[in-house]
Amino acid sequence: MRIEEELAIIELEADSKEQVLQLLGSRLIDQGYVKEGFIESILKREVAYPTGLPTEPYGVAIPHTDGDMVHRSTVAFASLKNPVQFLMMGTDDKLVDVQLIFMLALKNPDDQLEMLQKLMGLIQDPEMVSKLVRIESVGALNELVAGKV
Amino acid sequence: MKKLLIMCGTGIATSTVVKGKVEQWLKDNNLSQEVKIYQSKVSDEIGRIDEYDVVLSTTLVPNNIKDKVIDGVPLLTGIGVDAMYEKVLAEIKRE
Repeated sequence: MRIEEELAIIELEADSKEQVLQLLGSRLIDQGYVKEGFIESILKREVAYPTGLPTEPYGVAIPHTDGDMVHRSTVAFASLKNPVQFLMMGTDDKLVDVQLIFMLALKNPDDQLEMLQKLMGLIQDPEMVSKLVRIESVGALNELVAGKV
Repeated sequence: MKKLLIMCGTGIATSTVVKGKVEQWLKDNNLSQEVKIYQSKVSDEIGRIDEYDVVLSTTLVPNNIKDKVIDGVPLLTGIGVDAMYEKVLAEIKRE
């Protein structure tokens, strides 16, 4: 699996998680992967079920929402110049500084199992997280995750 | 047979990852025959949480069922995994 050129934003300068979620979500809408209401659904879900993960050395967020908002399963990616704060998954009061975002557009529980597991493997590797934060192009991103996502 | 529920907000994304890891862990510990895994979303399970012997969640759950639920986020971050499995094992072995 590779991340589509149109679905990756490298070294994004953003002020808030909402801004990042809107930018990535509109890429997914523009490319026809998800329905119009996807962004609103993602934003709502992030409040009810936060997706920030306290990985090392930088936090990662994996925003996603219900499968009925999705036409075709895929993953969008953003690396941030400066961190934005997400609520930590499993909490409603702990914040985590996030510099990598993998926005998951998932239709079914099983169709992306392998990709999801590989992705979680990647972000558990501090060296890989550091490299992903410093990535300079989509090509380099896909080289880095080749065989791993 | 013990019933182990894995839940997240949608029942699609993180619970799928956790399920894959727990299945492998059960296998590695020769527990596959003792435990049946269920996967779901939090909102579907709140009213029937007592039907399960072990509950893992990657999302916050309401206070009234909090004591019943083990935090599954360590399986996503890789941090605190052993301590989490100790809790799961204790619940599986509970008479």
